[in-house]
Amino acid sequence: MIHIENLVKRYGSLIALDHLNLDIEEGEIFGLLGPNGSGKTTAIGCLLALLKYDKGQITVFGKEMHPDSYNIKKNIGVVMQNIAVFEQMSVWENIDYFCGLYIKDKAKRKELVEEAIRFTNLEDYRKIRPKKLSGGLLRRLNIACGIVHKPKLIILDEPTVAVDPQSRNKILEGILELNKQGSTIIYTSHYMEEVEQICSRIAIIDHGRVLATGTKEELKNMIKTGETITIEAIAADDALLAGLHALPHVFDITYEEQVLKIRLSSARHNLVRILNFLTERDVSFGRVFSELPTLNDVFLEITGKELRD
Amino acid sequence: MLFLFKYRFIQITREFSVMFWALTFPLILATLFYFSFGRAGLSATGESEWSVVNVCVIENKASEFPSFLKALDGDTLNILSASSEDDALHMLDEGEISGIYYVKETPSLTVGKNGLNESILTSLLDTYNQNAAMLTDIAKTHPENLPAAIESISNYRQIVKEETLGGDTLDSTVQYFFALIAYACLSGAFLGVRASFDSQANLTALGARRSVTPTHKLTLILIDMLVLVVIHFVNIMILTIYIGKVLGINLGHNYIALLLVNFMGSMIGVTMGLAFGSLSKLSLNAKMGLSVLITLIPGFFAGLMFVNMKNIVEQHAPIINRINPAAVLSDAYYCMGVYNDAERFTRCILTLAVMSILFLAAAFFGVRRERYDSI
Repeated sequence: MIHIENLVKRYGSLIALDHLNLDIEEGEIFGLLGPNGSGKTTAIGCLLALLKYDKGQITVFGKEMHPDSYNIKKNIGVVMQNIAVFEQMSVWENIDYFCGLYIKDKAKRKELVEEAIRFTNLEDYRKIRPKKLSGGLLRRLNIACGIVHKPKLIILDEPTVAVDPQSRNKILEGILELNKQGSTIIYTSHYMEEVEQICSRIAIIDHGRVLATGTKEELKNMIKTGETITIEAIAADDALLAGLHALPHVFDITYEEQVLKIRLSSARHNLVRILNFLTERDVSFGRVFSELPTLNDVFLEITGKELRD
Repeated sequence: MLFLFKYRFIQITREFSVMFWALTFPLILATLFYFSFGRAGLSATGESEWSVVNVCVIENKASEFPSFLKALDGDTLNILSASSEDDALHMLDEGEISGIYYVKETPSLTVGKNGLNESILTSLLDTYNQNAAMLTDIAKTHPENLPAAIESISNYRQIVKEETLGGDTLDSTVQYFFALIAYACLSGAFLGVRASFDSQANLTALGARRSVTPTHKLTLILIDMLVLVVIHFVNIMILTIYIGKVLGINLGHNYIALLLVNFMGSMIGVTMGLAFGSLSKLSLNAKMGLSVLITLIPGFFAGLMFVNMKNIVEQHAPIINRINPAAVLSDAYYCMGVYNDAERFTRCILTLAVMSILFLAAAFFGVRRERYDSI
């Protein structure tokens, strides 16, 4: 459905997109995961023919994308990172206006607007102007304006920024529902939990380059980390740390403010082995927990830094 | 398209700050003008007294011309005495008199500048010269009828009122109100610049959202223009009616022409704003600053702030007056309200129409296939 090949975009001397390659298939929820400034929004801007780029090729629905590719645009819905609604118009008027930029038939438009209002749970706010809406409701209105015409492809650029957890969950549930209804979704975020929760395929992006692409399982299998064990309230000296490091499958240890994090490759009885080691040396400690690898671990192993650094 | 028109109309009319500057501010200015001019303001209603024209007469030769002028003294003219020609020239330089008549074989006139008073003096001289042969003949054959003959051609006040000014008003105060309406028309540029932001992805999120829709850019710009012109035209008409009916300023009685100029004025202001607002290389703040400049600078050169400026431009760079929208607009108002010159009026209206089309085309080509460096 979307093919991006060797996309290069420079802002002066800064390379925002560095030979970016992406292929997005119909029916996917494709996640673009990367820290702020990694090039996600720039990639979306180029894809939508809003931004100039220095090199590369972009095709959408098999056709090259240009600013006047109106036939392609009618099948795309965009939810921008910044709220893009008219302050002077009510919730209903805003959704109706943006629907009208795609759908000319009045009866069909009315039906779609009502559906979008129900979908985003904005029934009680039809006549309210955006200024009086909370942050979460405003985000939902922003989404309603972008998806009201039921496009084949929906691009959501960080739609949950500054949204409360309850609204965030509703938004994520809504995205899954849109996908079930047949829309292909491109979802950009720097929240790995969200991407992990809803995306069927993910591209990890940093410094304008795709570092890895695949399902969340495929990405996690790419890395060495099979398990991360965290031990709180432990007093560890260099000898203890060296001893832990020498244990089988342990490949990385960090110790900060009495919190010990041990990263191990995938193996059975890792936790038991660590606890036995500490008990034998009569080392006291607080809470202990074990985590399976996350996308943050993937990002950390590939780039050497945390996703939110 | 009616649907898009409706929503854009709702959106703009509900924007309080835009409507304040477009409608309320000119009304406040008109009120301030009215009270600032005091009696002068009232004189614009047509209640003013005819003011006489100060002039000196330098007699070098016996002639009937001084008798002709004396017949007008106190009515159309106020003949001041000067001890010498140098004294008269000094008075002319100081602006105490509008001209000096030289009584010679063929009488002549020296004026210090162009203006209504100077035109009256010129017309008087022309009238005398055209009738000099007849007066000489009467003096020779029927000297007892000479005063009556002079009287018959010297009822100049009536001639001036009916012939020189085919329009409705002579009072210079009305110029300021025409200037105010012209300025209000040009301030449509603020509306145009502001509206253009909603079409540009690099300036606003709304611009980005509208840019990714399948609605053609030309449609969006045309809708914006139509809505803004309608709103601005209504605002200008409210201002015109307020000046004419509430403040009682006589703006002329050719209402169709007034409607036409107001419409073209609204059009030129809005399209100028849309065109300059579509210059993609400039930031939002730079464009807002530019909208002030594109309103004030043409207005200044067109004499909307300093009435003589337009004459100065006409003398030194007349082409500017032909291409300056503010100058063409003020010219149209003068043609309608003062000169009553249909040909020149038509030329002004056509010029404004062509300029509006060019500005609209510039706005469209500015954003048509635009991709931005950054958003």
